[in-house]
Amino acid sequence: MERLFCDPRKCVGCHACEIACAVEHSQSKQLWSVILNGETVRPRRAVQVVGREPFRAIQAGRAVSLGCHHCNPAPCVDACISGAMHKEKGETICTVSRCVGCWMCVMACPYGAITPLVTALKCDLCPDRAGREGRARYACVEACPTGALVVGTFEEFRQILAQPVESPFVQGAITPA
Amino acid sequence: MRYVIVGASAAGVSAAETLRQRDPAAEIVVISDERLVYSRPLLSYYLAGHLSEEGLLYRPRDFFERLGLTLVLDRATALDLAKSQVEVEHGPPVPYDKLLLATGASARFPRAEGIKKDGVFGLRHLSDVEGILPRLSEVKKAVVLGAGLVGLKAAAGLREHGVEVTMLVSSRQVLSQMLDTSSAQVFQDLFEQNGVPTVTGVKPTAILGKDRIEGVETASGEVFPCQLVMVGKGVDPNLELTEGTPIKVEYGALVDQYLATSVENVYAAGDVVQAMDAVRGESWINALWPCAVEQGRIAALNMMGEKVAYRGSTRMNSVQFFSLPVISAGLAVLTPGPLGGRSGEHDSTIEDRPSPTLYWKVFLKDDTIVGFVVMGDIERAGLLKILMEKRVNVSQIRDDLLGRRLDLGFLLPFIAENRERFVEPEMQELVETVGV
Repeated sequence: MERLFCDPRKCVGCHACEIACAVEHSQSKQLWSVILNGETVRPRRAVQVVGREPFRAIQAGRAVSLGCHHCNPAPCVDACISGAMHKEKGETICTVSRCVGCWMCVMACPYGAITPLVTALKCDLCPDRAGREGRARYACVEACPTGALVVGTFEEFRQILAQPVESPFVQGAITPA
Repeated sequence: MRYVIVGASAAGVSAAETLRQRDPAAEIVVISDERLVYSRPLLSYYLAGHLSEEGLLYRPRDFFERLGLTLVLDRATALDLAKSQVEVEHGPPVPYDKLLLATGASARFPRAEGIKKDGVFGLRHLSDVEGILPRLSEVKKAVVLGAGLVGLKAAAGLREHGVEVTMLVSSRQVLSQMLDTSSAQVFQDLFEQNGVPTVTGVKPTAILGKDRIEGVETASGEVFPCQLVMVGKGVDPNLELTEGTPIKVEYGALVDQYLATSVENVYAAGDVVQAMDAVRGESWINALWPCAVEQGRIAALNMMGEKVAYRGSTRMNSVQFFSLPVISAGLAVLTPGPLGGRSGEHDSTIEDRPSPTLYWKVFLKDDTIVGFVVMGDIERAGLLKILMEKRVNVSQIRDDLLGRRLDLGFLLPFIAENRERFVEPEMQELVETVGV
């Protein structure tokens, strides 16, 4: 199954993926409209700093964009008492109309990838972009300015990780607090 | 191969789905005395009027037909292990090659005179809510016995109908199996503010009234007038089928790591099982939805001969009352559990409480997490849970376990350092990703 991966060597921590994700899941799908209408939207992925004291020595100063891994079997699906969280062709999808907000999935997710906000919010793999091709298929991938976010199988991503990153400009270099 | 599953709730449904997914041709028989596949944890939402009956159905109405399962709509009464068959109340015995006991658990009723009276309800079956709802027009006051999760959900549900509810609790606090004293007090106060007072340290001795419930009398002689009684004091495993058989039982049906009982070809999963508890390190009953679903799946795989080991269950609960969410897991309670034995085993705690309703507390023993309570901001609770389940030494990250300081990005190098324990493929992928 096709999934999303972030190459931490290329992630500069700009949060563009978060904004694109939040906008994609808004009513209007327009940033200006979200702002002017005061619509509450949340991203379903988060840019986080890899490591911090006492682990700076290993991976200091690298950012990474993290979201749902669509794992199999998915602990959030096991935990769901309402049938809202379910698997569809390998994808982990939450039917928000069935979600009662018990947060069993939040408790079960080992990655902290589910946001409790009235209903459970998580990466839904941009269903409204179903027809689009290439990088435009997913809002976060399309928005990523350095190409850190990629689509494919993990095997394909592993090949990317095996290649050196050429431009020093994209070597993620933010300083953790 | 003929698979027979007794019970059609979380564990039974999960097992049936797993069997069907792996073997489109297998003969799968489900014995259940309920026609619908519905979610018991959602019954309180139905009681409160937040969901319709349709909303309880977490699988399609035609679940059995759709999956090609044979439903025996009957009550299983006994096992005939010599003949490898299940006896049912009305029909002929049901023969099996592999059998799964997913018989679940029943509401535990206190020993009080008249507890079987009409008008005393648990919150376990659709029939409970269907019995309660039509009466509510005549119910002004109700008493809820017990303030566990189900007791509180029952009380909140009745309150939605304008019923005056009082909770009578034998222990000193609400949610005594889930929360520490300090967080429990927040919920007790919250219920009080919403018109549901709690009376702690009382023992109900009698349900009063002849044809109709008139009140509950306690050991001290006090009478709480009411027209309805609900019971939320936990559950006991349904072990009728193992009676008189060599299937080993302690508190629940005992199983090995493959969820097989002590008798060949008989497996067990869900609330009826006493399986290994990953945190306690001993077998324990964790009658919880997520555990039942996982056990059902793993039992099914083993019934098909796949040899998949169960990594163990963990006590865990998540709930939200009056907009305040709370998640707790592991040994976070200080009072002895219903099964007696060990509890509250920790040698240190760390906590943070920026406001009365924003609270994180982690219980540790030998620098490993053995339990936690997270209230208000719960988004990172799953990270604490996985750290607890993996039994990793967290001494290096002690100061980062609370609130928003804990996130997956921060944990990745720590996970990489302990990669042999984080065996899930997705975890291994992350380790590889940040290791470049």
